[in-house]
Amino acid sequence: MFFRLLMESFRRQRRRKALAGLAILLGTTAVTAMLALATTIGDRIHKELAAYGANIVVYPAADQLEVKVGGVDVKPVSGGAYLHESDLAKLRGIFWANNIMGVSPELPVNGSALLGGVDGPATPVKVTGLWFNHDLKGITTGAPTLHPWWKLEGTWPSEAVHTGHTNIVVGSRLAKQLGLHIGSAFVLQGNAQKDLQNDPPAQVSGIVSTGDDVDNQILVDLSVAQAMEGVKDAVRRVEVSARTKPEDAFARKDPDTLSPAQREIWYCRPYANSIAYQIREAIPGSRAEQVRRVEQSEGTVLKRISGLMWLISAAALLAAGFAVSAAMATAILERQGEIGLMRSLGASKTTVALLFYAEAGLLAIFAGGLGYLAGSGLSGWLGARIFATDGPTTISSLLIPVLFPVVVTLALIVAIAGSTPAIRRALITDPSAILRANV
Amino acid sequence: MSHLSMGAILRRSLVHRRARSLSALIAMTVSAAVATALLTLYADLDSKLHREFRSFGANIVVTAADSNNGIPADALAKVLATAGSDAQAAEFSYAVASTDRGTPIVVVGTDFDAVRKLNSWWQVDAWPAATDANAALLGQRAAQFVADEHNVQLTFGSHPLTLRGAGRLRTGGDEDSRIYLPMATFTTWTGAHPSVIEVQVPGGATQVEAAIVRLRQALPGMKVDPVRQLVEGESRIVDKTHALMYGAVLLIALTVAVSVLATLSASVLERRRDFALMKALGGSQSNLMAMFLLEALVLALGGVAAGYILGSAAAWAISQLNFHTATLPRIGVLPLVFLLNILIAFLAALFPVRVLRRLEPAALLKGE
Repeated sequence: MFFRLLMESFRRQRRRKALAGLAILLGTTAVTAMLALATTIGDRIHKELAAYGANIVVYPAADQLEVKVGGVDVKPVSGGAYLHESDLAKLRGIFWANNIMGVSPELPVNGSALLGGVDGPATPVKVTGLWFNHDLKGITTGAPTLHPWWKLEGTWPSEAVHTGHTNIVVGSRLAKQLGLHIGSAFVLQGNAQKDLQNDPPAQVSGIVSTGDDVDNQILVDLSVAQAMEGVKDAVRRVEVSARTKPEDAFARKDPDTLSPAQREIWYCRPYANSIAYQIREAIPGSRAEQVRRVEQSEGTVLKRISGLMWLISAAALLAAGFAVSAAMATAILERQGEIGLMRSLGASKTTVALLFYAEAGLLAIFAGGLGYLAGSGLSGWLGARIFATDGPTTISSLLIPVLFPVVVTLALIVAIAGSTPAIRRALITDPSAILRANV
Repeated sequence: MSHLSMGAILRRSLVHRRARSLSALIAMTVSAAVATALLTLYADLDSKLHREFRSFGANIVVTAADSNNGIPADALAKVLATAGSDAQAAEFSYAVASTDRGTPIVVVGTDFDAVRKLNSWWQVDAWPAATDANAALLGQRAAQFVADEHNVQLTFGSHPLTLRGAGRLRTGGDEDSRIYLPMATFTTWTGAHPSVIEVQVPGGATQVEAAIVRLRQALPGMKVDPVRQLVEGESRIVDKTHALMYGAVLLIALTVAVSVLATLSASVLERRRDFALMKALGGSQSNLMAMFLLEALVLALGGVAAGYILGSAAAWAISQLNFHTATLPRIGVLPLVFLLNILIAFLAALFPVRVLRRLEPAALLKGE
């Protein structure tokens, strides 16, 4: 009997059910979408913040002091300490390897551009060896990915060995100064290269504009720079872009002063400091530092934006809760007559209350489930429209399973809480009074 | 006469069914409060976000076009006057000196107070007091090339200088290999004048571009360049957050609006019997519609008044919690909130009209 009453109520009062259901559906849609966006906003903003470049820099521990003013090396060091290029693969083996999003080693060397051929006059030029599209154990990375503000006209040199010529990229100011353009070829001589006849000429494959001192440099593949200087496997400095957790007081602790248990916790959190520590461990003779300008500021921005999203989600939750419970209350107030009839026909208060709660619960689960799906889709759509996504969106990336029980439980609580005052009022009122008033 | 009686009906209708009026009023208040809070936050969002990006430091660099000459002495004052009241700037002067061990090292003259404000990401053990002419900040790498941090012996050309290291500086950038000292001491020691001014102008790419144009006009013969890395990144992130908020505002406003609409139109439908009775007593269709609309208008007005206060308080709380700065109530959002609420209320009153128009009073009063 109870079950039949329940079914019939859904079958016959479609309009009323539709209104309350719509309120729940929309409420859960909004809440799911906001929560889904809030949980993923950190990652998304972090990807955007990668536009600021590396947040960790690695250099040889025994390095000489750099004498740089405004990005220009005033007294370039020759010789000195190097890191090994072959050691960089170890970065993919540290505890937080998956958080390392990009690696860009560099090797600055001095060279001469012989624009008039092998016997022509030599112009001293600054040359930097870089990775452009290097495959580092599964991630394709290099200088362009770590410097998204570099604007290139033409193409980056590829690592593949070209017979006949070496591809290079020239900084925009230097290109103007030397009168170079894409396709120009000349001889690029390094300190270690005396026998020029066997060297392939350099050919300009692109002109890069960066807004800093790189505009005055020539960029070549790392292996080319190593050959020019005669130092195999050497890099001077490595920039690393890592996904990190914003720094807190614990992150600033010196791991060597912590107790073993605390140290373990410190080590296993993706702070910039702990990732730098792990890099120092992995690469012999290195020193890794967080780039504070990027890392500290990113932390603040990230915290503010995700904080904002969470607070807005809370506001959405509150508003949706109010709207849904108001809709539920209205739906029950409308049916006072029904309650009066049932009571006068002998239904106990418990039965009536149970019936209405069961209705509210069924509605909440059904509309809440639909709202979860709609909200997940909506957040996926919004996220894809606003943020650049890598790869196609899949169902599994859209749905956040943890949210399902959360959202449906919230819908249940709100629906039941919203109906309670109305049900109580209807049950307190004398059935005969209700019936008289209504008929 | 008809107006008078309409007012009386309205008052009775609102007072007599207090519970229903109250729930409608709450619904309208919620929708007005949500709209107010979100619009207030949204209107303030860009400036708030840009303030957060200040922590990235300078986004414009002013240098002398000819690197051999320093910049004019009044340049800093001109920069501060042109760039805007909330801009920050610090001047720097660079020279290469050698330490007591003979290592060449970059020494920088600057104003510590200005740098501290400009470069909040610098991690410094202890900032030197502005009055201490011989206090210096040692970059963490530079410190390793100095024999005694409290008695730093430097030589520039043939001029010696003894500095007292106040603390170490950690940045992870070029600053790590430098020694910073007060500008006055630097100038008397090396004879070099400031060569670079770093400026921080709050705002996105357009504000920075505008500031650069103004600076170029005010400082002829000097190079004014944006720090491209910062300007582009900031605009991108602020734009995306803005778009995200826009989506969220629309989504939430829509949800609340539709839920409120559902609630209100249900409560109008509930009153079919009143409607039928009034019609039977001789009320015209338009008369009755006007009554419903008037009632909706009153409820909407009440909702807007309460919702504006609640919503402004919510916006203030959210912004205080998240950005640690207050967002003051904005009168500007009021018309929009009012319009939105009126629209919801009218739709809620008009939505059931089709149903009501078809009603046969006699049939309804007899019991459907």
